[in-house]
Amino acid sequence: MTTLTEIAVRMGEIAVSKSPGDLLVSLGLGSCIGLALVDQRRGIAGLAHIMLPEAIGDGGPAGKFADLAVPELVARTVALGTARTSLKAVLVGGAQMFALGGGNSLDIGVRNEAAVRGMLAAERIPVIAAATRGNKGRTVRVWPGGAIMAKEAGGAETELLAGDRR
Amino acid sequence: MSPMPFTTFQLDALRELANIGSGTAGTALSQMLGRSVDISVPNAFVLPLAEAVDAVGAAEEDVTGVVIPLQGELDAVVLLVFPVADAATLCGLLGVEAGTDVGLSALSEIGNILGASYVGAIAAMTGLDLDLTPPQTVTDMLAAIVSTVLASRAAETDTAMILDSELQVEGEACSLGFMLLPAAGEVQEMLKRMGVDA
Repeated sequence: MTTLTEIAVRMGEIAVSKSPGDLLVSLGLGSCIGLALVDQRRGIAGLAHIMLPEAIGDGGPAGKFADLAVPELVARTVALGTARTSLKAVLVGGAQMFALGGGNSLDIGVRNEAAVRGMLAAERIPVIAAATRGNKGRTVRVWPGGAIMAKEAGGAETELLAGDRR
Repeated sequence: MSPMPFTTFQLDALRELANIGSGTAGTALSQMLGRSVDISVPNAFVLPLAEAVDAVGAAEEDVTGVVIPLQGELDAVVLLVFPVADAATLCGLLGVEAGTDVGLSALSEIGNILGASYVGAIAAMTGLDLDLTPPQTVTDMLAAIVSTVLASRAAETDTAMILDSELQVEGEACSLGFMLLPAAGEVQEMLKRMGVDA
């Protein structure tokens, strides 16, 4: 059995892989969204750890903002050899953990999910599974073969998408 | 984007600010429990958002967090973090049952009292007019709590600033983390008020 190489996808980061043995992981998503794009037939997957709906000026890497992260993640998975039309999306996160104010009255988690779904619709990429909303943090694990597991704080890990776990 | 360039002198001033804040909070906790409370040397982290969570602890650890957004002249959030077992110990010391509504409410109240001590000390030192908003208490993964607080203030910066101290109740497995997370740009104002902005 081969050992998995865990690739941490931290706040604002994007990672892609087509190597069996890789595992893309975002630990403890709160209001952030872990957006996975998978092409199960070709064994290509990517994960973005999105923090906010839209970029304001030069506020950080593309992966941080839904409006920049979705096209960037699509481009990077396509660069590994998939076609845009073969990609499917899975969303994890976007919880409302607490109300924080900070300029926006609406909850960030909800706005993050809406922004990501809007961008995916524009790219014509279907969302085939999601573990979003609620008030609990979540961890997501994505295998290049297309399997996706999610775990809620205090809960067990569940399979969001059945696929090859190598 | 590189982290904001603070001088060693400025970071020392921020650590001193956290030290006085957590020292005052530690005294308040000690009076409440009738026990000694040790206070760690604070950390002042200025680092890319991606590295922020790992700097303060284990991402998936279950913790109870008391989140207190501030109002007034400083846009910041005060965050108290109790490992779940330590929160239970603290509830025991207070004579309430952990994991119940009463237990959570006791932790919120502790957060409120300690937060007010911490923020009061910082207000006195900087001359900033600061108020606490009501605390919100959640039990979740550390990363989920810290990243959600950071995301709420992260639109215009890729840099996280975290002042992190630890209080430890002597003779008990009971420690708590004390964090101040100011929004971008707010740190310069704090430094200015302390006379170390140059």
